[in-house]
Amino acid sequence: MAENNIEVADLGCGDVCLLMILKYQKCIEELVGVDINEERLKWNGFRLSPCMGDHLDPRELDLIITLYHGSVLEKDCRLLGFDLVACIELIEHFDSEDLAKFPEVVFGYMSPAMIVISTPNSDFNSLFPSAVFRDSDHKFEWSRMQFQTWALDVANHYSYSVEFTGVGEPPAGAEDVGCCTQIGVFRKIAKATESAVLEHHGEHVYEVIYTTSYPSLQQMDYCRRVVTYLVYREVNRMKRRYQVSLRQHELEPESADTGNPTRKFISDPPVPVLTEADKAMEMISQPFCIGDKFYVPLERIIAYPRLGHICGNVEKLREFLADVVELNCDGSAVKVDLHDCGDY
Amino acid sequence: MSGRARARARGMALSPSAAEVGRVQASPLPLSVALSDSEASSSSDHVGTSRISQKCEGGLSSGDAGCTFKERVGKIRREMMDLSVCTREKLAHVRDCKRGSSGIPVKLVTNLFNLDLPQDWQLYQYHVTYSPDIESRRLRIALLYSHMELSNKAKAFDGVILFLSQKLDEKVMELSSETRRGETVKMTITLTRELPASSPVCMQVFSIIFKKILKKLSMYQIGRNFYKPSEPVEIPQHKLSLWPGFAISVSHFESRLLFGADVSYKILRNETVLEFMTDLCHKTGMSCFTQTCEKQLIGLIVITRYNNKTYRIDDIDWSVKPTHTFQKRDGTEITYVDYYKQQYDITLSDLNQPVLVSLLKSKRNDDAEVRMAHLIPELCFLTGLPGEARSDFRLMKAVAEETRLSPLGRQQRLARLADDIQRNKDARFELETWGLHFGCQMSLTGRVVPSENIIIQDHICQPVSAADWSKDMRTCKILSAQSLDKWLVICSNRAERVTESFLSCLRRVGRPIGFNVNHPKIIKVQENPAAFLHAIQKYVDPEVQLVMCILPSNQNSYYDSIKKYLISDCPVPSQCVLAQTLNKQGMLMSIATKIALQMTCKLGGELWAVEIPLKSLMVVGIDVCKDAFNQGMVVVGFVASINPRITRWFSRCMLQRTTADVADCLKVFMTGALNRWYTHNQGLPGRIIVYRDGVGDGQLRTLIEYEVPQLLSSVTEASSNTSPKLSVIVVRKKCMPRFLMETGRTLQNPPLGTIVDSGATRPEWYDFYLISRVACRGTLNPTYYNVIYDDNGLKPDHMQRLTFKLCHLYYNWPGLISVPAPCQYAHKLTFLVAQSTHKEPSLELANSLFYL
Repeated sequence: MAENNIEVADLGCGDVCLLMILKYQKCIEELVGVDINEERLKWNGFRLSPCMGDHLDPRELDLIITLYHGSVLEKDCRLLGFDLVACIELIEHFDSEDLAKFPEVVFGYMSPAMIVISTPNSDFNSLFPSAVFRDSDHKFEWSRMQFQTWALDVANHYSYSVEFTGVGEPPAGAEDVGCCTQIGVFRKIAKATESAVLEHHGEHVYEVIYTTSYPSLQQMDYCRRVVTYLVYREVNRMKRRYQVSLRQHELEPESADTGNPTRKFISDPPVPVLTEADKAMEMISQPFCIGDKFYVPLERIIAYPRLGHICGNVEKLREFLADVVELNCDGSAVKVDLHDCGDY
Repeated sequence: MSGRARARARGMALSPSAAEVGRVQASPLPLSVALSDSEASSSSDHVGTSRISQKCEGGLSSGDAGCTFKERVGKIRREMMDLSVCTREKLAHVRDCKRGSSGIPVKLVTNLFNLDLPQDWQLYQYHVTYSPDIESRRLRIALLYSHMELSNKAKAFDGVILFLSQKLDEKVMELSSETRRGETVKMTITLTRELPASSPVCMQVFSIIFKKILKKLSMYQIGRNFYKPSEPVEIPQHKLSLWPGFAISVSHFESRLLFGADVSYKILRNETVLEFMTDLCHKTGMSCFTQTCEKQLIGLIVITRYNNKTYRIDDIDWSVKPTHTFQKRDGTEITYVDYYKQQYDITLSDLNQPVLVSLLKSKRNDDAEVRMAHLIPELCFLTGLPGEARSDFRLMKAVAEETRLSPLGRQQRLARLADDIQRNKDARFELETWGLHFGCQMSLTGRVVPSENIIIQDHICQPVSAADWSKDMRTCKILSAQSLDKWLVICSNRAERVTESFLSCLRRVGRPIGFNVNHPKIIKVQENPAAFLHAIQKYVDPEVQLVMCILPSNQNSYYDSIKKYLISDCPVPSQCVLAQTLNKQGMLMSIATKIALQMTCKLGGELWAVEIPLKSLMVVGIDVCKDAFNQGMVVVGFVASINPRITRWFSRCMLQRTTADVADCLKVFMTGALNRWYTHNQGLPGRIIVYRDGVGDGQLRTLIEYEVPQLLSSVTEASSNTSPKLSVIVVRKKCMPRFLMETGRTLQNPPLGTIVDSGATRPEWYDFYLISRVACRGTLNPTYYNVIYDDNGLKPDHMQRLTFKLCHLYYNWPGLISVPAPCQYAHKLTFLVAQSTHKEPSLELANSLFYL
């Protein structure tokens, strides 16, 4: 999933295990879980809340996680237009009547770009000692043939393509039973006119049990914070390098501690490889010193890839730094005391 | 040394801020119980694999709050243990009333909130068994919670013990549930205890309820406190983020259940361990990088990037790289790099970094093997401040400025928390189901006792401000001073000029106060610690009264080596002064005055006194402090007054090999002090009052069963007929309650001498709060006194006022201090030994305040 701003829904999310894994994915912007068991959602909601680290080092993209209490067989307009809908070990819990309704809701109504459906592969059951369903609540367990027939039928009806795969490799010698769990990956066959239909109107049937929003660089205050810290970090680093070079001028020649095994422990900050463009940048905007003040041109700071990525241009960077960091009079460089370094 | 010299130079400004900052430090118990129970549940050797399961547990605990009981109830929290020690019932004279009477009443607002319960409220404790037995706590909880019978009741359950606020219909109840696999499980719920609201177990259940509530207000638990990361205070130039939050507690004060909250800040460093290492590497160079790195990092608490957990760094494994593999729980091998990519979508940038090792201690079963977690430095954020940062004045000032709250600001924070709790739907629901009502903030009446007169040689003065009477006595003669005839000054060549001008200044300020300073022998040496020490060794002879060292830098090595030699090996009083302090031209007079007073004390002089109505009273201060270098060693300091005027002091100090802060040597010390008193006063003191500082949570019983008897046996053995009467008072500078005075529309710190002995005190103790300090900015912390033993039978009023008087007698500061002087002397002594000398001071110095 290379593109950004992905929206994912997990139908029958249960203990939110899948959502827990997905919330770490950087490209996802919205996560939704739907389950019929309200108690479990209430319990598990907090597992999805932002970590302390998410505040210290915010994500790039916003992320909103919402848990809904409701039946997958009911239509709720808030589930329209997702990029991916996952139905992991869900359909085998439906009786025939519900199973018949299911494609209409998920494929027909929600109509996401991609649907992943997994269900037990009953061919594999021959490897199990007892001949019962894997869970007492299972209404059926399908063979690969049964599942694929159903899946192809549904896919054709709602203009999806489908690919089959599975997890849980069979043991040696029993390869012909296939994977323990069979998976169908459905992709919508694109229709140019489709997007217009995706208007979010309709009913809100599901009840919101839990919702949380993650700090991210898309939020101004977090972004400003991160930029400020990065700028200070870079400026201090350059200042230290400058101080070291001053000292080396004084005490030349310094014994080089080559051959020391610890040398390798820490490689340089993440700008060790300078591209031609960076080198050019270094040429024009080096940090400099006037009196006991140390200046780093904003041009130089923005050459640091992460800052460049967040701010885009010097104007934006200046805007971020306004009132937080001292700049020189024409606002072209960050100004700090040379000797008053914040180290300890 | 340096800090002191600077503090002196700066005057009062530092003292409140330093105290404020102290409170901000990383919590002493950073790995909370809540964290440990999730650690215990995962069985993997590597953090990597156990993470998911930990998450699950964490989620559960926030969801149902039940899972922490095992530790909490099985192993009662330490401060709770103290509450079961009822000392007051043995003290006949305060059994009915422990309140004093003198002083002017003052209305105070507290940081305590009423928690109202119905009159007949009880907590019902049940034991739950499963048939067939189920191992998984998660499943046990899920089965019980899903049962209709319990679904709408307020409950807390850890898998074994169930607490309900409503009694079930039957004493033994059998329920059955079906697992998702269709097995029928029988649960037997048996009533084991009915607990009144005042029971310590209830306090713990209440704490858990509030923990749950604060989580609902999107606060994070770190240690025992709760923080709000969404409203951080940023100090980017020092790479610090401060998260505002609260320390909370629920407990039973005098007559009611109270919820206490105090504003607290968590210091987080916006710096990963990897960045810290890189920086350090650039700073120290490669040669001693690994050692320095280990020294600085081991013991620190880190927060991982990807989950809500804190770890203590126990070691650094330089041989493991992120490209190495570890075994996941399912047995497969995976590299750290791949693991973090797969699990958390995190790309590690530095493939050469080492891994941090954290030992996960299981609190549940002690015999469980210690498991290790490997953490990647790049993904760990530092918390708290490293030791070196604390001596960075600028940084500490920046922190103090952000965290120091005015009384009004503090009150606003509290009001907002109360408001949040009352308004939040979930929080309110939670309280209601338990039958709790979150009430209003408690006010109470304190008393302001009259201020004290300071007795100097020729007159009695009533200071303009009891907080600082240095101005009042600038030209007054002090009680007694030895003249300084033979002494040495050691300074570097560079500091010669400033030293000269300082010495003339010293003579000038000495004369009016009655301290004659003669010309010293000045020795000029090179700027290195060895040269200083060498000069001392060479020139100090038995006639030298005092050695003064003008230190070129505040490197510990100067101070420590000089002090170590002159305190233990060759006992001579010494005075260290930083050369840069003497460079502050405008302040030289006041610096010289302070140093002159300090030198007088070190030579055995007396500065001032207060009126002590009790004749023949010995006061004792005891403090215990951990040795900075030797783990498992503690330093016990003992300081006793040896004259009725309480102006001369005898001190003993000992290093002892014990992990508990219990003073083992008190009998010897006490006997020594009584002997000293006897030689000075030809008799024994009639009364002894001991102030014991440095008492940790849960140590009260040990104090009563172990320390008090030691002191008593020394006292009774001292005399065959009437032995001195003994009282022992535990002094605590940190306590939950805070008091603010309403003045018109705003709030202020209460005035000096405010005593609170009702409302926020404990029914089972003879205790009181005293405010004996001022804060120009910030909010005051009262000092808490708990009289645990009292033969003297002084009226509470007299005990309180005597304690207040003793806060005037610390000669290093011409003003009131927050604890009685003997405690502060004992603290100074233990601090000097624990931080610098690590050696017992020579007995020859025992009669002087050499440790000032």
